[in-house]
Amino acid sequence: MLIKRKTADVQRGRLQAAIAGLSSGVMDRRAFLRRSGLVAGGVAAVGALQIGSVRKAEAAGLGPATGTKVVKNICTHCSVGCTVKAEVVNGVWVGQEPAWESPINRGSHCAKGAAVRELVHGDRRIKYPMKLVDGQWQRISWDVAINEIGDKMMQIRAKSGADSVYMLGSAKFSNEGAYLFRKFAAFWGTNNVDHQARICHSTTVAGVANTWGYGAMTNSYNDIRNSKTILFMGSNAAEAHPVSMQHILVGKEQNRANVIVFDPRLTRTAAHATDYIRIRSGTDIPVIWGMMWHIFKNGWEDKAFLAARVHGMDDVRKEVEKYDPKTVEDITGVPEAQLKRAAETFAKVKPATFIWCMGVTQHSVGTANVRAICNLLLATGNVGGMGNGANIFRGHCNVQGATDFGLDIANLPCYYGLVEGAWRHWARVWDVPYDYFVTRFDEVPAKGGRPARTRKANMETSGHTSTRWFDAANLPTEQVDQMDNLKAMFVMGHGGNTIPRMPDAVKGLEKLELLVVADPHPTNFVSLGGRKNGTYILPIGTQFECAGSRTCSNRSVQWGEKVVEPIFEAASDYFVIYKLAQKLGFAEQMHKNFEMVQGKFGPEPSAESILREINRGGWSTGYTGQSPERLKLHMEHQDKFDLVTLRGAQGSPVENDFYGLPWPCWGTPDLKHPGTHILYNTSLEAKNGGGTFRPRFGLTYERTLADGRKVSETLLAENGSYSLNSDIKDGYPEFTMGVLKKLGWDADLTPKELETITWIGGNNIDAVNWANDLSGGIQRVALKHGCVPYGNGKARANAWNLPDPVPTHREPIYSPRVDLVAKWPARPDERTLRIPNLHTSVQKAAVEKGIAKSFPIVLTSGRLVEYEGGGEETRSNKWLAELQQDMFVEINPADAAARGIKDGAFVWVSGPENNSKARVKALVTERVGKGVAFMPFHFGGFYQGQDQRGNYPKGTDPIVLGESVNVVTTYGYDPVTAMHEGKVTLCQIAAA
Amino acid sequence: MARMKFLCDADRCIECNACVTACKNENEVPWGINRRRVVTINDGKPGERSVSMACMHCTDAPCAAVCPVDCFYTTADAVVLHSKDLCIGCGYCFYACPFGAPQYPKVGNFGSRGKMDKCTFCAGGPEADLSPVEFQKYGSNRLAEGKLPLCAEMCSTKSLLAGDGEIIAQIYKERVVKRGYGSGAWGWQTAYKDNIAI
Amino acid sequence: MRFGAHIRLLVTGLLLTFAVAFAVPVSAQQVNPTADAVRERQFLDALKGNPQAELQGRISIPDQKAATLERPAGRDWRAFHQGTMLRIAAIAVLGTLLALTAFYLIRGRVMNEAGPAGTTITRFNAFERFVHWLTAGCFIILTLSGLNVTFGKLVLLPLVGPQAFTNLSIVAKWAHNFLAWPFMLGVALMFVIWIKDNIPTLADLRWFAAGGGIIGKGHPEARRFNAGQKIVFWSVVLGGAALSVSGFYLLFPFYAGGVLNLQFWNVVHGIVSVLMIALMLGHIYIGSIGMEGAFDAMGSGEVDLNWAKAHHSLWVEEEMQKARAGSDNRLQPAE
Repeated sequence: MLIKRKTADVQRGRLQAAIAGLSSGVMDRRAFLRRSGLVAGGVAAVGALQIGSVRKAEAAGLGPATGTKVVKNICTHCSVGCTVKAEVVNGVWVGQEPAWESPINRGSHCAKGAAVRELVHGDRRIKYPMKLVDGQWQRISWDVAINEIGDKMMQIRAKSGADSVYMLGSAKFSNEGAYLFRKFAAFWGTNNVDHQARICHSTTVAGVANTWGYGAMTNSYNDIRNSKTILFMGSNAAEAHPVSMQHILVGKEQNRANVIVFDPRLTRTAAHATDYIRIRSGTDIPVIWGMMWHIFKNGWEDKAFLAARVHGMDDVRKEVEKYDPKTVEDITGVPEAQLKRAAETFAKVKPATFIWCMGVTQHSVGTANVRAICNLLLATGNVGGMGNGANIFRGHCNVQGATDFGLDIANLPCYYGLVEGAWRHWARVWDVPYDYFVTRFDEVPAKGGRPARTRKANMETSGHTSTRWFDAANLPTEQVDQMDNLKAMFVMGHGGNTIPRMPDAVKGLEKLELLVVADPHPTNFVSLGGRKNGTYILPIGTQFECAGSRTCSNRSVQWGEKVVEPIFEAASDYFVIYKLAQKLGFAEQMHKNFEMVQGKFGPEPSAESILREINRGGWSTGYTGQSPERLKLHMEHQDKFDLVTLRGAQGSPVENDFYGLPWPCWGTPDLKHPGTHILYNTSLEAKNGGGTFRPRFGLTYERTLADGRKVSETLLAENGSYSLNSDIKDGYPEFTMGVLKKLGWDADLTPKELETITWIGGNNIDAVNWANDLSGGIQRVALKHGCVPYGNGKARANAWNLPDPVPTHREPIYSPRVDLVAKWPARPDERTLRIPNLHTSVQKAAVEKGIAKSFPIVLTSGRLVEYEGGGEETRSNKWLAELQQDMFVEINPADAAARGIKDGAFVWVSGPENNSKARVKALVTERVGKGVAFMPFHFGGFYQGQDQRGNYPKGTDPIVLGESVNVVTTYGYDPVTAMHEGKVTLCQIAAA
Repeated sequence: MARMKFLCDADRCIECNACVTACKNENEVPWGINRRRVVTINDGKPGERSVSMACMHCTDAPCAAVCPVDCFYTTADAVVLHSKDLCIGCGYCFYACPFGAPQYPKVGNFGSRGKMDKCTFCAGGPEADLSPVEFQKYGSNRLAEGKLPLCAEMCSTKSLLAGDGEIIAQIYKERVVKRGYGSGAWGWQTAYKDNIAI
Repeated sequence: MRFGAHIRLLVTGLLLTFAVAFAVPVSAQQVNPTADAVRERQFLDALKGNPQAELQGRISIPDQKAATLERPAGRDWRAFHQGTMLRIAAIAVLGTLLALTAFYLIRGRVMNEAGPAGTTITRFNAFERFVHWLTAGCFIILTLSGLNVTFGKLVLLPLVGPQAFTNLSIVAKWAHNFLAWPFMLGVALMFVIWIKDNIPTLADLRWFAAGGGIIGKGHPEARRFNAGQKIVFWSVVLGGAALSVSGFYLLFPFYAGGVLNLQFWNVVHGIVSVLMIALMLGHIYIGSIGMEGAFDAMGSGEVDLNWAKAHHSLWVEEEMQKARAGSDNRLQPAE
């Protein structure tokens, strides 16, 4: 046998750095230990440090040799926020190295993250702008594209109004891109602007924000290392957020923590549970209330926490009484003993955290589901501390940031809403007269028995949701509460196959006069339906071809550098939005605060200057302290942050900061607020990352008692609950100039701050508050006195302004348990968000037609680790596509046997609406229970058995195509956010 | 002298396939060649476990023993490598391998195989270290750069360990003691006639 | 390939692929996937009962071979291939050569005792000879290239060096893969054209009793083919079929149904090959230096009448009768 000898003077290839002390490629034990960052004899420490793949420590200290540039960016797939370390030679991304220094991923990736380099080499990317002419794709120039699109938009605007153009943005945008797109919609004059959060965590944001103030994950992935009980519901983190499992599994191991998984499927996550509980899809509320029933009955609730920090839990207690173990087992299928054990564990083995995802949110009762979970957390006192909290794992790399910056039908950036004050605030930040925006909006005529709306009223009315864009195109005009139907879609970075009722979407697409798909890869919007004209494709660079910040699920903001210039003729988001604004005539106004830099095709706003404008306006969410400089410093010193607390090491340039300055990061950057690792955490000082529940629902609640008497209940915190070292040792409302004056703290304001406050307040200076004071003075003074700018209130167990203030079980629209529908019906029909929402009609019709008999299998959907979202990007990546080459349906062996279906054989899955059907492969597995089927949602390019590969422009078709699950999914929309019911419907399966 | 080994801690593996795509990315492995793969045992049943598997770089490697042209060799790090110049694509190593590691590009007629390809522990091949020709034939040579295989370095949950057998065994052992369970050092008995006693 | 299919069924029946069916305790009270985790120990225990056990799982890539996580059975094949096979091959090939040499030394060349008759009789026509040499030629190259796989690295490699040996082996591999087809054709043709003369008869028993005339004295009666030749025929037909079937699977591994089957067919191919080689060495000996006049049968196709009378008396008679009966006198009396 040969023994290969490595020589010392080897030619270095990619990394030309000769490694000091490495005389030979051969690793002896000592060299190995040294390279592993361990001193000899330190083996014992290795285990404790949980270093997976041990390696040398020196490399980090070695600068790259000539020619190789190392660039850090953030993975563009899920919301975990893994740092991607790219080695670039001559403008080509040649290698990807583990970013050991990132406290979030510590070098790790999932299949997608480890394959991102392919994205900027992808030969299936869109190469140049194109338009569809009589069914043929024609290459056009950027100028022609922008001109024609702009002209058509103006034409539609003149005829049908600004609201007829739908602006569908993306959770893939950087924060700056998202903000710019929202600003663009404001200048265009519509609130019909949305993005993937609609179908992801819109119900979470609504439910959580309506409970304790902010619609975001309360803790962090890293913090789960502190948990003693980890409960998953409707979350398959192992496939959707793989790197988060690093923290979770280590937490599980080190604390010997309980891992409870509620899911209709035995997922890859459930495989690591200590307690797996199978539930029926769409019965989350009875499961939670069933747990609460045991908690209240046994007195396991956290009484002190409830008294000090929660309002209205007795209302919940009353509802929960209906959910005795027998009732709950009947509805959910969970035996009493299992649920009781889970309840006891969650209440007693603390800190306990609740992790949820789309399994909870994608329901017609999504907001209520979320509210029920919040109540469980509140009742057990599991919010606002290390190792507990609502750990909402968001989906896309910047879905949190895009939500924060108002790619939303009901918000301006940073959750200011659409009220006049919000518009005036942003008009001030943008330095554009408020009245200008009023003129941009449509006047809505009276129709369908509804009164007319002025421009101002329309400007303050929530837009259409992305889940039902096609209804806005298809429904009779009088049912659509805006000037006219939808006539155009401007889609940037959003798939067309992730929303149910695709047969209706196909009809909607045919109605559109203009469809613009701006994306690195042609999405399903391109291939779906039979459009012949009026479709434009614009090539956009990925976020690796663009600099900017992105906010991961835990609210940490990370800066990504541009790895390479956009490939082919792709352009950056910033450029496209700027060019279109220019064409539409408002570019100068819109970009007046930005520094314009030379991009690939011409001037475009720099990401840094956009972020600075955000910093100037994002007071309500604490997006003011994250200056580009601070963010870049964090990326440079990632290794200085603690793995568990995320706190910057003493003596380092990032001392005391939390990694990525998770929002809220109060005050101006100069204030050096560290960001907030854990929301509502009273054990820290406000200026050091502490917090309280946000009193945003008034100061008191007027309750009418049974005997008709009215009592007033406080909504401010009580019983000595306040953040550490607060000058006010009680609950307090949000800070305004008036409050400062009352406290005598206005004297702490600097003259300059006062000047700004006076400018904003005009003749009502007392009304200027912490969220619209552009000087940051009010926030600074509040923090100085140890107070949280937004106040110190109670969380709401009863959210009286929501449709179901105290959640109650409602059977899914398409329920397999027809017998339960009468007792637990869907909500009555209503109009939400500009169109009718026919919960009851559809549910009743399904029962009457006996749908549950002819479609006896419950269909649920979810993610695969290899793909993301609509999947065009990942299905075009050869390294990923090879791993999942066929769309499939998971079916239980019993159901398969009854239908003569073999593993791997083709089947037809048919849905109860529109005679829809999808031809997919069967995956016969016990992951799903009897009577349940599961389909992933990343596929597209096949439609009801038809191959649509020919619809893609030549050479841009994804490698793998497949039927979309949403061909067979059905009606059902949350009353608050119009979230679709993607996680439960009915289907039938037959061998093909 | 370090003896390089792989160890997949199945109680950490979540079948995320990062190891698979990291390998493809690092070594530019073509479609159809799977140097590493993740197999799930008892899929869908409570207690299913996924295991990431590639060439285990066996002690007394069966592939080397049965190779009719003796194209295998073992490096000083105990990494089992082969020469694609010498390989005749006969497939015997695939018959002998307990882990299904050898892969063959389909070339020519019949079921005829091209030169065998397999995991190199990111240690390249017999060509000069870090030379373009080495990269072209075998992929990257991270060991020569002082790095370990990228699959393990990028493992999402630090399930896949690569490195000095003694150290990774120690890490695994401590994990099992700490958490109180362990489904075993998959493949170690077969590959190294060794098991991690706990 | 009905024959092959049958064998395959038989084999897969024997191989009892290890279906992972580790019992999973399921209780209504608690499903604890962590505690119930499948352990490798379970597989290692199962191996003790069935060394052929494979650990199978699920995999998303289409290559279902990859779904086998562990297959320690390769060890047995390795032991066979590197041990048993070498020994069998060495004994069969070298042993036969040795035995033939000894026989030659002791018995010497079997002569045409009656001396040349001067007239010849057509024993094999051109087509028959073509078929024979087609098959034989292929067989020789297949033998050499096949033996190279087993012995090459022990014998040739040290002589010629690695790169030359690889080049040679690649040529050998291609030769083996391509010449397999004409070989199979040859075997099939032989079967068709000679089956009628190779039906075993009682005369064959007498032929054996007389020791085939080589060992004892005097030539036992025989028709066109004596019992010894019939053995060669049936060995070639059956052995050739076995080599064809096993070779087919080795050439098209995806039809074999798993590596365990490939290993099995490889064992079949190897053992049948060396037995065939041994037999053919004997055949070549007797057809060339072992017996005077025998080569002519496949050489010119014309054999000396006396030789024919001595070895195939009944056949000569039959042919004579045929000649007399037939108007076309194919036999040329030597007067």
